[in-house]
Amino acid sequence: MDEGAFKPAGDGVMLAARHALGWLGLGNGVGLWLALLLVAPGLQAGEWTYGRWVPVHLNIQLYGWTALPLVAWLLHIYEVDRSKAAAWAPAAVWAWSAALALGVLHWLNGHTSGKIFLDWQGGTLWGLVAAMLVLWSVLAVAWRERAAGWSARRRALAALGLWVLAAVPAAMVSVASPAAYPPVDVTTGGPSGASLLGSTLVVVTVMMLLPRAGAATGEGRAGWWVWTYLANCWMIFGAAEWIGGTHWQFHQIGAMALLLPWAVLLPWDWAGFAWPEGTRVWRIAVFGWWGMLVLSGVTMYLPFLLDRVKFTQALVGHSHLAMAGFTTSFCALVLVAVTGRPLGGGRSVALWHGAVLVMIGVLAAMGWREGGGFSWMELNPVWRTAGFHLRATCGALMLGASITWINHWRKS
Amino acid sequence: MNRSALRAAVVIAAVYGHFLIFAQFAFVELLRAGGVDAAAERVVLGAMAAAGVVGGFVAAWRGATPVLVRVALGVAGVSAALAPWVGGLAGGLGVAVATGGALGVATVSLAALLPGWCGVAWVGLGTGLGYGGCNVPWVFTQSPVGQAWVAVGFAGVGVLAVPRGVEWRADGRVAVFPWWGALGVFAALVWLDSAAFFIIQHVADFKAGTWGDGLLWRNAAVHFGVAVGAGWWLARAGARLVPVVAWGVLALAALAVNAAATRGLVGWWYPAGVSLYATALVAWPGWYSGADGVRPAAWRAALLFAVAGWFASANGIGMAQSLNCVPVAFVVGAGVVVIGVALFSNHGNRRAAVAVALVGTVVGLGALADRGKPVPPSAAARGRQVYLAEGCIHCHSQYVRPGSMDEAAWGSARALDVARAGAPVLIGNRRQGPDLATVGARRSAAWLRAHFINPQQLVPGSSMPAYGPLFADARGEDLIAYLQGTAAGWVNTSPGRAGEWIPNKAAGVAPGTDGARMFVRLCTACHGADGLGDGALAGGLTKRPANLADGPFLWTAGTDSLELRVARVVKFGLPGTDMPGHEVLSDAEVLALTGHVLRLRQR
Repeated sequence: MDEGAFKPAGDGVMLAARHALGWLGLGNGVGLWLALLLVAPGLQAGEWTYGRWVPVHLNIQLYGWTALPLVAWLLHIYEVDRSKAAAWAPAAVWAWSAALALGVLHWLNGHTSGKIFLDWQGGTLWGLVAAMLVLWSVLAVAWRERAAGWSARRRALAALGLWVLAAVPAAMVSVASPAAYPPVDVTTGGPSGASLLGSTLVVVTVMMLLPRAGAATGEGRAGWWVWTYLANCWMIFGAAEWIGGTHWQFHQIGAMALLLPWAVLLPWDWAGFAWPEGTRVWRIAVFGWWGMLVLSGVTMYLPFLLDRVKFTQALVGHSHLAMAGFTTSFCALVLVAVTGRPLGGGRSVALWHGAVLVMIGVLAAMGWREGGGFSWMELNPVWRTAGFHLRATCGALMLGASITWINHWRKS
Repeated sequence: MNRSALRAAVVIAAVYGHFLIFAQFAFVELLRAGGVDAAAERVVLGAMAAAGVVGGFVAAWRGATPVLVRVALGVAGVSAALAPWVGGLAGGLGVAVATGGALGVATVSLAALLPGWCGVAWVGLGTGLGYGGCNVPWVFTQSPVGQAWVAVGFAGVGVLAVPRGVEWRADGRVAVFPWWGALGVFAALVWLDSAAFFIIQHVADFKAGTWGDGLLWRNAAVHFGVAVGAGWWLARAGARLVPVVAWGVLALAALAVNAAATRGLVGWWYPAGVSLYATALVAWPGWYSGADGVRPAAWRAALLFAVAGWFASANGIGMAQSLNCVPVAFVVGAGVVVIGVALFSNHGNRRAAVAVALVGTVVGLGALADRGKPVPPSAAARGRQVYLAEGCIHCHSQYVRPGSMDEAAWGSARALDVARAGAPVLIGNRRQGPDLATVGARRSAAWLRAHFINPQQLVPGSSMPAYGPLFADARGEDLIAYLQGTAAGWVNTSPGRAGEWIPNKAAGVAPGTDGARMFVRLCTACHGADGLGDGALAGGLTKRPANLADGPFLWTAGTDSLELRVARVVKFGLPGTDMPGHEVLSDAEVLALTGHVLRLRQR
C-alpha cells in the first residue's frame, strides 16, 4: 500500500497540517496559562476558571494537534486532493476545526460531560459527529474514484478502513456517554493493566500501519510472528479486561508487561522502510519517547510504585511524556511525511524536547515527594512552588518552540 | 524623512483628535450645559451623524482634493470655536450639522488621498498620535470649553499640514474582502467598541478605574503603541488578520466590562482593540478595498464610514443604553461575522463556509435542545452539575484508596459501587488538592464558603483559585449541598476515629517543622495571631472561634492527656462546628502545632 507516498500534498492535506499546527500553538498557550494559574491563582479572571481551561487544553491537544495530522494522513492515503472530492477536503478540515472551536466555547462556559478526553455532550457531540461524517463522505467519494487505479490489496484495505471509520461516530457517541465508564482497579481508583494495554495497543497498531499506508516506501522488517504477537496481545487484552483485577495481580501486571517488546519491535520494524527526507529527527524522537513511555508506564504500574505515585504530579508528568513527548513527535513525523515540508529547525526541536524532558523530570520529582505524605496540601513547601515555576518556564519554552515551528512551516 | 508622509500622519491625527475630543466629548457636555435635554440631545447627535453621512457622499461625488480637506478642517475648527457660545437646540443643531458635515468630508477625502501621500505604516502613526494625544492628561482633563479649543487647535494644525498632490499610488491592489464583507466586519467592530465604551462611561467607579488620574498616560501609551504596531503589521503582512485580532481583543474587553472581577483588565484591552481596528478602518478604502483611483476609493470610504462609522456607532450605544451590558451573544455574533468574512469570503472557501455552517447549526440545535432539559429539583443534584461545570475533577479526586494513607487523612474507604455511582463517575485522576469524597463531613458549610471565596486566606500559598462568583447566585450553596451530600454516609465514623487516634511520638519532630510558623499559616485566619479568637474570618463563622489563650476550653475536656486531646482536635477538627481538621499533616507536624497551641494556653 505504498503507491501514495512522496506525492506532492494537495490543499486538503496542507490545510489539515496548518490547522494542526495552529491548534498546537493554541493548546500550548492554554497549557502555559494553566501552569501560570498554578503559580499565581489570582491571575484567574471571572468565571473562566482553572477547571474550565483544563478540558480546553486537553481536548485541543487531542482533537486538534493529534487528530488533524491523522486527518491529513487519511486525506493523503485516499488521495482526496487528486479526486473529485478535492474541493471539499478543506471543508472537511474546517468542519473539524469548527467543531473543536465550538467545543472550546462550550467548555469555557461550563458545559461539560465530565469525562476527561471525551468531553463532548449535547450539541458539541453532534457537531463533532457531523464533522466526522463530512470527512468520511470526502474519503468515500475519493475512494470510489481513485480505487480503480490501485492494487487489489490496497483497494480492499482502503475499503476496510472506510468501514472502520464509519463506526467511529457511533463509537464516539457511545464512549462519550456519561453512563459509560471503564473497569476500575479497586486499589487505586484508576484503570486496570488490561485497559492500559488496550489503549496502548491502539497506538502500536497505528504505528504498524503508518509506514505501510503512505508515509514511507519499501518493506518493514516485521514478519508474520510480529503480527501474530500483536494479535495475541489484543486477545490477552480482551481476556484480562474481562477478568478484571488490580495491580497486585499477576495477570494484570503481565498484561502490562506485554508492551515491553514493542519498545524494540517497532523501531526495528520501521528501520526497514525508506522514509521521506526530513523525517529522521522526528523518528529518533518518536522512539526515544516511545521507549521511555513503555518502560516508565510498565514500571509505574507495579505494586508499591503505583500506590506511591497515583493521583500525584508524577502521573501528570507521565501524561506529558505521552502527549508532549511521544505524540507530538509522532504527529510531527506524520506531517513531514505526508506534506514533504520540514517542521522546525534543529534548535527549536532540541528546545522542545529539552523543555519536555525537564518538565517531566520536575513533575516526577514532585510526584514522588507528594506520594510520601499529604502535608504539602496545607503547608505548600518550597519544593512545590519551585516545581510549578520550573514547569511554567518549560511551558513558555515549549510555546516558543511551537511558534517557531509554525513560522518555519509557513515560510518553507 | 518623507515630509509628505509625516504631514499625512499629522492630518490623520488632527481629524481623529477633533472627532474624539470635540464631537464625542466636549460637544455633548456643552449641549447639556446649554440646557439641551436628553431627547433634544439625541436629535442633535442624530443630525450630526446624518450630516456626516451626507458630507462623506458629497466628498465622494465632488472628488477628494487636498483643498477640500483643508476647507473641511477649517469648518470643523470654526464650529468647535463657536460651540461654547451657542446655546439651545437650534444653535446645537447648527454646530452639529457643521461639525458632522465637515468631518464627513474630511474623513472620506483623507482616506481616499492617503495612498498618494504615504505608505500604510504612517496611518498607524497618525491614528496613534490622534488617540494618544486625546488621552494626554492635559487634554483629557480640560473643561469642555478648553477641549473645544483643543479641537480648534487640532483642526488648525491639520489645515496647515495637508500635503499637496492627488497622485494615486495604490494600483493593482485587490480587495481583501468583498465590499459587503468589509462593511460587515467594520460595522461589527464599531458596534462592539461603542457598546463597551458606553458601559465604561456609565458604570459607577468604572470610568475612574479606566480613565482615572494616573491611568491616562498608560492609555495614551497603549493607544499610540498599538496603533503604530498596527500600521507596521498592515504594511508587513496585509490586512486580513488585523480585524480578527481586533475583534478578539475587543471581545475580551467587552466581556470583561460585564463582570466586576475583570474590570481592571479593560483599561488595557479596550484601547488596544480600538487602536487596532481604527488604523485598519482608515487604511481600508485606499489600500484594501480594491479601489483603482482616488474617486472609487472615496466612494468606498463614504459607504464604509456611513455604515460602519455613523450607523454602527449609534446602534452600539443604543444597545448598551437599553441592556446595560454587552450581551455575550452579541460578542459571539460579531466574532462570527468578523472571522467568517476573514476566512470564507474568498470564492474558493465557500464550501468550507457551508461545512462550518453545518457544524454550527448542529451545535446550535443541540444547545437549544439542552435548554429544554429540566433543572434538577434538589440542591445537591444541582451542585453536582456545578462540580462538573467548574472542572473540580481536574484537581480533586473522590476516591479513598482502601488500605492506603488516604484512609488516615480522609477516612475509611467506601465500596467501589458507591464511587462508581452517578453519571459521569467522578473518581478523578489527579489531586492538586485533597480528596473530596468526605469533605462535606470534615468541613462546615461556613468554612467551605469562606474557602471558595478566598482560598488563600485559609490556606496560604494554596494553588486553588477563588470561586466567589458562584456565590453571586445559588451555585455556590448548591455546590456545598452536594459536597455535604456525598459525605453523608461517612459522618458517623468521624468522632470514633478521632477518639482512637494516638500520634506516633516516636517519629519525633520533623526537621524544619515549626509549630509557631504552622500556626500563622493554618490558624490565624480564624483564631487570630495571638490565638484570641479574633481572626479576620471570625465574624463570618457560625460560632466565634475559640480563644486559645484564655478559654473557655469546652472542646478539649476529657480524661486523656491534654496534649492528646488538643492534638486530636488539631488533627480531626470538631464535627458540628466550623473547626476543620488538619488530616493531611503528619503526626510530627500535628504535635508541633499542638505544642504551640498549648504554649498559648499557658501564657
